[in-house]
Amino acid sequence: MSKLNETDIQGFVLRGYNLPVARYLFLHFEDAVRACKLIGRLLGEITTGQRWDGAKPQSTVNIAFTHRGLQRLELPDATLLSFPVEFQQGMRHRSEILGDAGVNAPERWDEVWRGDRVHAWLGINGLNAEALEARCAAILAILQQAAGASLLASQEASSVFIDGTATTKEHFGYTDGFGNPDYLGVDRNSQPGQGKLMPDGTWAPLATGELLLGYADEAGELPVAPVPHLFASNGTFMVYRKLHQNLATFRSYLEQQSTLYGGGKEKLAAKFIGRWRDGTPIELSPDGPDSAIAQDPKRSTNFTYGADAEGTRCPMGAHIRRVHPRDAFGFNGRLINRRRITRRGLPYGRFASEGEPVYDSDERGVIFMALNASISRQFEFVQQQWIQYGNDARLGNDKDMLLGNHGGHGRFMVQGDTSRTNPPFICSDLPDFVELRGGEYFFLPSITALGMIALGLVDPR
Amino acid sequence: MPNKNGSVYGLTILSPIIDDEKATPSHDLQIRNYLAHLSTREQSPFAVAPGTHLARLVVMDDVIYVGMPACEEHLKSKYLVFESNLDGDLDDYLNGLAESMPELLDAIWQHCVGYPGAANRRAFVEYMKACQLDTTFFFAAVNDKSVPQTLRALQTQAAVADFIASHQGADPDSLQQEFIQFAAYLRAQPLPRPGSMGPPRDIKTGGRNE
Repeated sequence: MSKLNETDIQGFVLRGYNLPVARYLFLHFEDAVRACKLIGRLLGEITTGQRWDGAKPQSTVNIAFTHRGLQRLELPDATLLSFPVEFQQGMRHRSEILGDAGVNAPERWDEVWRGDRVHAWLGINGLNAEALEARCAAILAILQQAAGASLLASQEASSVFIDGTATTKEHFGYTDGFGNPDYLGVDRNSQPGQGKLMPDGTWAPLATGELLLGYADEAGELPVAPVPHLFASNGTFMVYRKLHQNLATFRSYLEQQSTLYGGGKEKLAAKFIGRWRDGTPIELSPDGPDSAIAQDPKRSTNFTYGADAEGTRCPMGAHIRRVHPRDAFGFNGRLINRRRITRRGLPYGRFASEGEPVYDSDERGVIFMALNASISRQFEFVQQQWIQYGNDARLGNDKDMLLGNHGGHGRFMVQGDTSRTNPPFICSDLPDFVELRGGEYFFLPSITALGMIALGLVDPR
Repeated sequence: MPNKNGSVYGLTILSPIIDDEKATPSHDLQIRNYLAHLSTREQSPFAVAPGTHLARLVVMDDVIYVGMPACEEHLKSKYLVFESNLDGDLDDYLNGLAESMPELLDAIWQHCVGYPGAANRRAFVEYMKACQLDTTFFFAAVNDKSVPQTLRALQTQAAVADFIASHQGADPDSLQQEFIQFAAYLRAQPLPRPGSMGPPRDIKTGGRNE
């Protein structure tokens, strides 16, 4: 296929910016005419997928809309009704399908997500706090001037800084942000293990239509998309979830379980995720972290589970094995190629180093943003079948150790062998380590589509 | 034996549904309505009747023409499809169904052409076998174990996992003692009821939800 038109695609879709601080603004549109004018004003601010070629910008701006937002912009009914059902319904109405119950139930979400008032997301990333502040001030000035939207809430997010340096750590202490999939035509530094597994054991990019609307997907079909084609093409869908982390619970649970586990605390922590806390895949280095592997792009995501069918190295239920099973289901991994998502996002809240007193009530967690062409086929399937259920992983009703909605009754099996340092072990009475605090489904349009909205040119005929 | 895979029998029955334009609602809709309200899990009729691993009842209206380049074809009738993975001999199984759920069979199959009723046992078995298709290749979602063996295995697995989880790190002497007690307790447990071994899931899946 030909190269994608990077200037027509929002940059947020094509690449992780690697800009360490961010603020997400949630807007409510007051009326269609002024809101469309506002979008016209913002159009020149939106960061596209064009390559930076060395000159990294100080800050970036991207925009996405909820279905209610598009309704408020008075898009034609024939366009609005042609969106996939799950996007029209929104994440709150999909809670039963997603298993967002108990402590994750919508009634317990942050106030901004309990109503239907969020119409748009503005994502602003900065190279540092000053650049972020400056860009936010400029954007807020545009908002004020256009008077087309009110600011409902904003969310701060930031990489974890250790000794003044931005890291890819998250609050539980793991190094995060390894494998995102490669897609055909998307120009980036790719590494083995990030696309789809081929019969000869190499990795190839996934079909573009798994990420972007308007292109063939892994089944050779165009993803379900709104009409007209020009409006949908080069756009995608974004899932936004604010995931609160109960750090005190996590630390005390790990501490308590590791007194019983023969492999020691750090090994148990690695078994939970499938990576040692420095990011080394446990599949490649079962006995300890190895920074030479973790920092080598040719190796850090380049592994399969075929030789570990019993899970004695990486447990069957380890987080990364559940959500990206690679070849674990056989058939050279072909069963998972239509269930991949691209993750963006950053932690929020203050980082507490090991030993510092922490409370579950401390405001900290991760802003999880997933991009995919089909929310129901990709994100919702992963959440329902691989996070909240265990059958595909041959784990019966067990849920994902870290993200599962356990309510104190969960179980995580660590498979093992006969050696003293790798014994089989069962973690039971799992608490909820992560709680959902809200979120929504968004449509991230192309630059062309933003122009069509701004000028009132969306015509489904 | 084309319908068998190890000890498991793969049964497929296609019964033509009565086509009567005067019937309102039509017979196929009446079957659909009845099936939509059937109980599942422990209350499923197939949990009550002996020997069923899993069963499926579905109304097949027609083959759907999807446009060129497919050629347009149609079935001669609407069919009730009954599929089951079962233990043992087919005659015994059909007799077991007729004995344990005759009202249910009649309520469903009364809408099918030539159905004699479950009360006439011989005619019932002959009718079902006349509607049978040789499967030759079927999806056996079970290993080569009977229903009671499978239920016992699930019970043992769950109990042993619980035992391990609650005894990790115990000293060897008390572990051995408690394991002996546990094994005796487990042996004395009655067989779980069919359909009872999966805890209810608090999540909506499948069909109309997705």
